[in-house]
Amino acid sequence: MTSPVYAADPPAARVAVALDALVAVYHRPSGATHLLAAPSPELLDALAAGPADAVTLRDRLAALYDLEGDGTAMIDARMEELIVAGLAWRI
Amino acid sequence: MAQDCDKPEKNPGESAANPLGVAGRRGVLMLGAVAATSVVTIRPALASTAASVLNCKIPIPDPPHTGQYITQDGKLVAANTKGAVAPPPRPITGEEAKKMINGQSPAGFDPSSREAYVNYIRRLQHGTSGFTCYASLQAPRP
Repeated sequence: MTSPVYAADPPAARVAVALDALVAVYHRPSGATHLLAAPSPELLDALAAGPADAVTLRDRLAALYDLEGDGTAMIDARMEELIVAGLAWRI
Repeated sequence: MAQDCDKPEKNPGESAANPLGVAGRRGVLMLGAVAATSVVTIRPALASTAASVLNCKIPIPDPPHTGQYITQDGKLVAANTKGAVAPPPRPITGEEAKKMINGQSPAGFDPSSREAYVNYIRRLQHGTSGFTCYASLQAPRP
């Protein structure tokens, strides 16, 4: 069984501004602005190291944060939202 | 006046104290606490022209580079470069670009060139033909 592998534009393609609990992200290639709640901004940043599946993303996040909650299923759900928003894609 | 009720907020070790699911100051990241969507897109005005989105066109390559080939990662190179694919026979419409981005191969285009075309479209920048079309596609529909 293969799990989806996700990719995103490099961080230079985005401008991120922290707004308390949210992060406003301007995506240069599309000219669209998005408001993201955790863990979506962290997931995008974690993709800067290259395309990854949910397990790899969880491991990258775990290196930076104490993770709480059900890992990979939630990561897949969040990544689907980022794909719909045009901030990430499946490869 | 007693001031001992002024507890310090930071209290490491106490988990489940972050109901909003935000990345806390202690470096805790709640993966499972966000039941609702975590992404809201602010649509640019041009996205409201939904009817025109599907009919807009993305020339590959853009007119100043007509005839050039496209590498698998979407860069333009000289015609007949090994490993690169020929440009499509006609501009790709917004609807076709959307299908390609979603992994489908619309009729009239070589399926094996799909990835190169998609990557080219992703690289489109302001000022390049087709950019506005691509940007419109990226915006969620109402």
